Amino acid sequence: MRRRAEKNKGKVSPALWPMYITTIAFIVLPLLYIVGISFLEKGDYFGVKNVVTIENYHKIFDPMYLSVLWESLKLAIITTVLTFLIGYPFAYCTAKLPVKWRGMVRMLLMTPFWLNSLIRLNGWIILMKANGVINTVLQSMGLIEEPLQLLYNDGAVIIGMVYALAPFMILAIYNSVEKLDWSLVEAARDLGAGPVKAFFTVTLPLSLPGIIAGCVLVFVPCIGLFYVSDLFGGSKTMLLGSLIRNEMLQARNWPFGAALSMLMLIATIGALQLYKKIAKTDSLQGIM
Amino acid sequence: MKKFVRLTAVVLAMVLMCMLLVGCQSEKEAEPLVIFTWSDYLPQEVLDAFTAETGIPVEYTYFTQNEEMLTKLQAANGGTYDLVLASDYIIDIAIKEGLVQKLDKNIITNYQYIGEGFKGQFYDPNDEYTVPFAAGTPLIVYDPAKVDIEVTGYNTWWDPSLENSIVVMDSARVVVGMVLKSMGYSLNESDPAILKQAEEKLMQLKPNILALDYDTPHEKIISGECAMAFMFTPQAYWAVTERPELEVVYPVEGMGYGVDSFFIPSQAPNAEAANKFLQFILEGETAAELAMFTQYMCCVETAYDYLPEEYFNEILYIPAEILGETEIVQDVGPEATAIYDEIWTRFKQ
Amino acid sequence: MKKRSKFAPIFVALILFLMYLPILVVIVYSFNESKYSNWTGFTFDWYDKLFSNKAIGASVINSLKVGVTSCLLSIVIGTAGAIGMNKSKFKFKSMLENLSLVPIMIPEIILGMAYLAFFTFLDIELGFTTLIISHTMFCIPYVFINVQSRLVGIDPHFVEAARDMGASPVRAFFDITLPLISPAIISGALLAFAMSIDDVVISYFVTGATTNTLPLKVFSMLKTGVTPEINALCTVMLVIVWTAIGLGLALKRVRNLQSK
Repeated sequence: MRRRAEKNKGKVSPALWPMYITTIAFIVLPLLYIVGISFLEKGDYFGVKNVVTIENYHKIFDPMYLSVLWESLKLAIITTVLTFLIGYPFAYCTAKLPVKWRGMVRMLLMTPFWLNSLIRLNGWIILMKANGVINTVLQSMGLIEEPLQLLYNDGAVIIGMVYALAPFMILAIYNSVEKLDWSLVEAARDLGAGPVKAFFTVTLPLSLPGIIAGCVLVFVPCIGLFYVSDLFGGSKTMLLGSLIRNEMLQARNWPFGAALSMLMLIATIGALQLYKKIAKTDSLQGIM
Repeated sequence: MKKFVRLTAVVLAMVLMCMLLVGCQSEKEAEPLVIFTWSDYLPQEVLDAFTAETGIPVEYTYFTQNEEMLTKLQAANGGTYDLVLASDYIIDIAIKEGLVQKLDKNIITNYQYIGEGFKGQFYDPNDEYTVPFAAGTPLIVYDPAKVDIEVTGYNTWWDPSLENSIVVMDSARVVVGMVLKSMGYSLNESDPAILKQAEEKLMQLKPNILALDYDTPHEKIISGECAMAFMFTPQAYWAVTERPELEVVYPVEGMGYGVDSFFIPSQAPNAEAANKFLQFILEGETAAELAMFTQYMCCVETAYDYLPEEYFNEILYIPAEILGETEIVQDVGPEATAIYDEIWTRFKQ
Repeated sequence: MKKRSKFAPIFVALILFLMYLPILVVIVYSFNESKYSNWTGFTFDWYDKLFSNKAIGASVINSLKVGVTSCLLSIVIGTAGAIGMNKSKFKFKSMLENLSLVPIMIPEIILGMAYLAFFTFLDIELGFTTLIISHTMFCIPYVFINVQSRLVGIDPHFVEAARDMGASPVRAFFDITLPLISPAIISGALLAFAMSIDDVVISYFVTGATTNTLPLKVFSMLKTGVTPEINALCTVMLVIVWTAIGLGLALKRVRNLQSK
């Protein structure tokens, strides 16, 4: 048997072929094509001209686009921190629930994934409108006279983002907290550590892979998610996702859109490398 | 090893199955007419009536933005779709790019009934390529309960009392165009120096903007979210129908104008059916039904006998003497377009 | 730890409440008479309109076709990939693994754009083929990750023992490995299916003339103004999802009873 195992070294198992081929054909090649386009000049109304240029990358460093990038990053960081502050206690508390309830919570957590996210976000709009549920309730209770302006500001965008992405954070952390070896925590308590100290020295470090996985799963889509800021923020702030969409479809500047995508891709790969370094793993499987 | 072969075989078989599935489908249906436009822009009743009359099934497919339509049509090399309904400026580009074929006027004998005012648009001066479908003028709608000043036109937008309470369209060309209008210039200005001035004026508008919304500004004024909004004809009509106390203003600085038209793509698989459909919808009664559905200005003269009285209101049917000189947003060429886009990106910061 | 047990359920319930609050609002407003969301009266009209809307019906069928096909393809490719990855050792292994996970790791808009440009370049007509290819590619990672993390927990001696007793690799796979990893396959596939039937961004770029999916229909309907018709659709979907989950749980219970 050992021989069989050794024989596999330096070999590609044939079961891998379908994934190998599809990955190269439909992931590597399209992305390479985008890299190629990003070095070309834009056509007059559509497509590209076969003229090589680095102008598209040069353009990114215009303060105007750097500020778009900064706004996107800021929003992504705030959202990630907030989803963590909600997600960790939630996952932790769920893991402490009796087994019977845990399955129930997990199911309730998964169901929204199956419903259209746009419709769910629209539920918040109905709640937060000037004549929406929250304002109507507050007004009828006599707490306010004029409706509050809840939508179309930065706070509203953050609420929408957190709502859309928190389930990913929760699931990732829950998966790692659930597998946690609680006897280690108890051992720490037995050795005289207070509950707070036990949490910070044992529980938190042990659930770190889940936390990082959750952060990656929230942070990455955050940069690209454009419709939340359109719906909740009234489209007033341009984010990287909207900018790419505009360059592709409205301005029809494919090369610049491609260059922006490359920037986004590099940022994402950076985040993933950071994950691997902190989680001390070579594979990304812990991420879900 | 065998199992891997088997697995691979299963994968291949599945791929083949999918392809067959897809292949069968396109064979089964008898040459449908594929119409490409915004969702819910044509009533199902009219499409069904066309199928009943000609036996040609209609496949209604949709886009959310003009630009998306152009991208898809380019990707299909002017094929796949039989009939497209889109806005003026994008049709201009489509024609320049050679994606549009000429209409068959032998089939579309009803073309003569199209009102003279709607013919000869800048994108199709000789009426060879397009059938105008719906025309409209963006209007200012405001809530008198929330606005204490006199609203005359675009210049009112900068009034300090309107802080954080205006909704305008999320469109560089429309909004920058309105700023240009307020300064007495053309909507289609391409001089960088003038555009620079317009940008400065636009930036001063920022504190007054509550939200930018292209698709649903009427909902924001109906819900009481904003005090004033700039919107297209049907949106203004819906807003006023829902809340009759809202006021409509014809901007004194001059009005914009837009036409949505049908065209047949250059490689349309079923161009004959497309021509037949255009003939069908230019019948007076059908055109009237369509106009009442879309709430846009009707382009067919013979339809006016069938239009109900409520059609002739201050929004849909603006008398020519008030309407005055209107101006259409046109393609300003790649360089100026880039300036407009950059102004918009800076505005959204 | 016992002290915390009172706080935990309350906190969990609160977050779940906030999560379901908008869904609840959507359900309530699906019975609202007015189109513009100030409550005016109760009506079933929107359900009537929903069920007579041909375009929505067609888009549901398209979504199911794409979802099921790409889900099946991704099960086969993803599972085989996870097993193969477990058995192989080569220079670019980790790189291939990372690349195959790219679709869920990079913002969707990049992939959507890349696919549109790429398929146009190859002259592949946009339609079911392109939808299925792209959906399969972003479904694979969900199956792959789930199966792979399950495989780590399986004692390789099981398979070796079976092989030693003379089972062919195929038999060993179907008799030993598959039953062990099937829960992981199912949970991965369910997640993949959920992602496929809710995908807007990638589908938006690669859909063809007659292949609009449900999320695209919803997206374009939202664009033309939110109608309670969409809220009604959400309610119907929720009912279907919960019925399916309920049936699944009931089936599981029956099986558990039988096996006892």
